[in-house]
Amino acid sequence: MQRMSANGSVTSLQLGSVAGAEKPDVHLLPCEIEHDGPAEVTRYFTAALKDRKHEKSVSFRGRGLKGQEVSCPHGYTGLVLRENHKPTSDQEDRTVRVSSVFHRFTYWNLDTPPTSDDGVVMAMAWPEIAEAIHGLVDD
Amino acid sequence: MDLSDFEANNSVSCRLSSAIPDVCKTEDCCLGIDEAGRGPVLGPMVYGICYCPVSKKDDLKDLKVADSKTLTEAERENLFHKLDEAKSFVGWALQILSPNTISNSMLQRAKYNLNALSHDAAIGLVQYALDCGVQLKEVFVDTVGPAEKYQEKLSQRFPGVEVTVRPKADSLFPIVSAASICAKVARDHAVKSWRFVEDLGDVDTDYGSGYPNDPKTKSWLLKYLDPVFGYPQFVRFSWSTAQSLLDSKAVPVYWDDDEEDGEKAAARMNCASMLSYFSRGKAQSSAREPHRFFTERRLQSLDTL
Repeated sequence: MQRMSANGSVTSLQLGSVAGAEKPDVHLLPCEIEHDGPAEVTRYFTAALKDRKHEKSVSFRGRGLKGQEVSCPHGYTGLVLRENHKPTSDQEDRTVRVSSVFHRFTYWNLDTPPTSDDGVVMAMAWPEIAEAIHGLVDD
Repeated sequence: MDLSDFEANNSVSCRLSSAIPDVCKTEDCCLGIDEAGRGPVLGPMVYGICYCPVSKKDDLKDLKVADSKTLTEAERENLFHKLDEAKSFVGWALQILSPNTISNSMLQRAKYNLNALSHDAAIGLVQYALDCGVQLKEVFVDTVGPAEKYQEKLSQRFPGVEVTVRPKADSLFPIVSAASICAKVARDHAVKSWRFVEDLGDVDTDYGSGYPNDPKTKSWLLKYLDPVFGYPQFVRFSWSTAQSLLDSKAVPVYWDDDEEDGEKAAARMNCASMLSYFSRGKAQSSAREPHRFFTERRLQSLDTL
């Protein structure tokens, strides 16, 4: 159980479910979809995805996307969190649980293939940099 | 007509062609260009060329090719069969632009409109004939846009070839009628035997003509609308019919190149709108702005969910 607090309320994260959590494919799209819930990903997206010559491509809403697989930083696990009861005020304590875990995800760009200069790809190097900056220095 | 090359990957554009008749490499030839399926919201748009020696124009006329739109599907099939039988002097080539290609092109960041797409398909096919050694002297083109500008563009692109762009060329020049028959037969086959890349099970193929004003097409579009993904790739997302159905019945999707204004956009973009200066909200924390290293990587330190 992990906790964080803000505004006097406590948010608890139930990690007990990590081991048995589902490991679905995770896709990060270059757009904001105003929807939070189930979607026919396998039927419309995964089925139409082309993976040729190291280039992944697919379309979403008619727009062409190019993708690349990105791994989570070494030693890290991606978590998808779910909150069963939305709090009614910011004073209320909250509980979120792990609904699924991932170790890699597919990062998609509009029109052009992702490169190592893209923010999301570069972000994955941060834990290693942080370790180098903040870690103990051997004499 | 064998469409298996296109059917193997109907997400992209595909070229199909007949063998080049030997006589077309030695004698002066004429070539016709026409398109099929420009208007429909469903299925591919097909560009077709047909060519033969100038000396064989009358033989082509004897095949009684006519504007494909005035013919029934069976008549078109029959005429395509006749063109195939005349393969000793008639050749053809097609560029099938998949609906996904059309959507992707028209909706890409640097918009690529249907006219430019059409012109490039036509130019690509003429260049293909030249590359194959066809001795082109005359080109006849059917057009929906302004004929003069298009004629000038093609004449400049292909010096030494006499280009005639004319509205309704498909009913004036038999070689254009022949091209229109090839294109229309391919479009008919592609639509009829469309293999959906999406995993939709048995799809109702009663989609009518594919034209936006066809009631069957309209009800098909309503039936196959998914609130998140919108439509299968068979639908041209860039058509206003598809767009307005999605606007009213699917969940909103925002892209970084959307043209939107007003307070909602400002709120979404996480910047202050003008109006926010009139109402004083919670005091912003005076903490330091994070370093560019973190903003560029969209890394934020998290203390609440």
